Amino acid sequence: MKGKKLLALVLALVLMLSLVACGGAASTTTTTSSSNSNTIRLVNGKIEVDAMLKKLAQMYKEKTGVNVEIESMGGGIDIQGTLKGYYQAKNMPDIFVNGGATDFANWTGLLADMSGEAWVSDTDAAYVDENGAVIGFPYTVEAIGLAYNKDILAKAGIDVATLTSPAAYEAAFATLDAQKDDLGLTAVIGYYTEPVNLYWSSGNHIFGQYLDAGLARDDTTYSDLLADGGKLDVARYTDFAKFIGLMQKYADQSMMISGTYDQEVLNFASGKYAFVTQGNWIGATMTSDDADAYAAAGSFQAGFAPYAFQDGIDTILTNSPSWWSVYKDGNVDAAKAFLQWLTTDEAQEVLVNEAGFISPFKSCKFVATDPFAQSVSDYIAAGKTSNWHWQSNKEGLAQNYLGQVFNDYAQGKLDTDKFVEVCQQVCAACYAS
Amino acid sequence: MESAPPAKKVLSLVLLIGGVALLAASIAMDVARSSSGLRGPMLIVGILAVLAGLYFFPSQRRHRDLVNVIFLFPLLFTFAVTVIIPLVLGIFYSLTNWTGIQYTQFVGLANYAAMFKETSFLWSLLITILFVVVNMILVNVVGFLLALLCTSKLKGIGFFRAAYFLPNLIGGIVLGYVWQFVFNNVLIQLAGDGISLLSNTNTAFMAIIVVYIWQYAGYIMLIYVNGLVTVPGEVLEAAAIDGSSPVTTLFRIKIPMIASTITICTFLTLTSAFKQFDVNMALTNGTGSVQNFMGNYLTNGTQMLALNIYNTAISKNNYALGQAKAVLFFIILAIVSLVQVRISNKKEVEL
Repeated sequence: MKGKKLLALVLALVLMLSLVACGGAASTTTTTSSSNSNTIRLVNGKIEVDAMLKKLAQMYKEKTGVNVEIESMGGGIDIQGTLKGYYQAKNMPDIFVNGGATDFANWTGLLADMSGEAWVSDTDAAYVDENGAVIGFPYTVEAIGLAYNKDILAKAGIDVATLTSPAAYEAAFATLDAQKDDLGLTAVIGYYTEPVNLYWSSGNHIFGQYLDAGLARDDTTYSDLLADGGKLDVARYTDFAKFIGLMQKYADQSMMISGTYDQEVLNFASGKYAFVTQGNWIGATMTSDDADAYAAAGSFQAGFAPYAFQDGIDTILTNSPSWWSVYKDGNVDAAKAFLQWLTTDEAQEVLVNEAGFISPFKSCKFVATDPFAQSVSDYIAAGKTSNWHWQSNKEGLAQNYLGQVFNDYAQGKLDTDKFVEVCQQVCAACYAS
Repeated sequence: MESAPPAKKVLSLVLLIGGVALLAASIAMDVARSSSGLRGPMLIVGILAVLAGLYFFPSQRRHRDLVNVIFLFPLLFTFAVTVIIPLVLGIFYSLTNWTGIQYTQFVGLANYAAMFKETSFLWSLLITILFVVVNMILVNVVGFLLALLCTSKLKGIGFFRAAYFLPNLIGGIVLGYVWQFVFNNVLIQLAGDGISLLSNTNTAFMAIIVVYIWQYAGYIMLIYVNGLVTVPGEVLEAAAIDGSSPVTTLFRIKIPMIASTITICTFLTLTSAFKQFDVNMALTNGTGSVQNFMGNYLTNGTQMLALNIYNTAISKNNYALGQAKAVLFFIILAIVSLVQVRISNKKEVEL
């Protein structure tokens, strides 16, 4: 009897000790990440520049001894959802990415005010909330237009400056299509609508052209209309839909429905498309992951043409795509110091020359060697840019609604009129819920 | 054990008081948002001290109960942390306008009313039921046929058993991406029209069913193999001597003898098909269009209930509504499970 009791006691103790071991280990890891003043953790939303940010972290560590952990997410991962998980688990990073008004609204009252930082006066692109507090650090400017291969257009004798009307595009596409074999093209344009992983391209960026193309930077007419219960301007949207129809006609048919982002960028970098419906971020991929194919295609110059779905549209969309914010209860001072350091020449050199960012800081003297940088700089210098507002769209609009409708249109399940009608209906449904 | 030795009593009291003090201190530190690393260990040592105090507590009548509770404690604790507390919190959050971070007001049953007005949710409910019915039948039939194959006298049976079971060892997300590659990059080359099976709601739904059967039938097969092996040899031999054909043996002897196995498998496939999430998410992420469902054009053609809840909360950023749907999901699953258990108990008694 006594032996049995002893055995029971020993077993119980072993069970409890194992519980202590697990609990103890878990609690120590959380405390080290939040209380160690020599470490800051940054959640980056641009996975394509992960290597460059890690290099910066290394440089910063050598300089100051502060350890910067870079945690990159991207490529269809829901970053805000992950961050909410971190918040619940009390595992918040010190600096994390926010992509616009809806994202910032999630963190009301939880972000540090950076108004006092020196870099604020050096840029126009900081994110300022309604109370005037600076809560977003801009790290790049991005541009979305219809990306083109300058060499191919030159060979086909097309002047990009004339591409400011649907008729001009129609003619240019037809010219290119006729010379496809001579130019080594698979198709005139790479337009991909696969809805599971690429919904953000059609549902956010291309739909964003309807919202903003051709407008002045402070003009929010169509964005406001959308915010009012998901309404679309039928006349403008019909023109937009017709332009999408034109792109579909000349797109790579074998890839339009189910192709992947990697294939899209690789085919453009290989010179197989004259146009592609992506923004300047593909420049970084073209010169790193796809460098071999890009070199084989002659390291061509690339640029942006406007989505001229109405006569006279001659602007591309530029904005800071997302901002870095400092978490109020994190390692605020170290995080602010790191962000300030990022605006110095040595850090800007890496961000501009290696990561291909277009610097939002006036004092920056570097110009990226990125294939698109020159084109974007020209548009900015000429004042031919529109702001973009698709980041204020209701969350889930692209992923759960529009991505699929664009795919249906590409599959031919919807004609132009029906496409407009269905878009109106799903936008209303999205804003109603 | 007429009277407890005083030393034991003192030890017990010291442990109890010390443990409660440690617990109180650590909870106080938590409320005060202290970042001291001692908080976690203090909590655990406190719990241990209380438990040890209870164990040594010199009571005659209740001692056995106390020991039972101590032994059950790890399980009860885990169950409470992972099931009971989240359930209560979940029901609570479903009555507020929770954003996943904070809530500002109670909205009563508004979330529950909203979800039944959402046609896309009703569609998800409908196809989930369809998916469950189809899979409950197909997975069991396929699994049972495989089990019959794997208990016959073919050569290389061990290899086949392992091969059929292998897909089950691959996680659902990985499996979904592998099959997505197969559908979008391989089969598309064979078809040659540039349209993947996953681009159409009907074919995509069938694709999910196929992948699910591929993943799950091997597992069900293993249970059936186990059942079939336990059918006594002498019964089969007697049937053979009486001139029973293989088909009669199957329907009159084998299937009735493994009725309890069939119940278990039906139950397993039912609940797991209801909870289908990972393959659904990785394969189609709920995409697919429905031209006209209750007068609406839907864009979530292959989105099953669990994925609908996830998307509502995460990608549409409506945590409270997602939570309300999750509560409904829980109720449905609980009812289904209870009914199933009730039915299967009855059947086993009859046998």
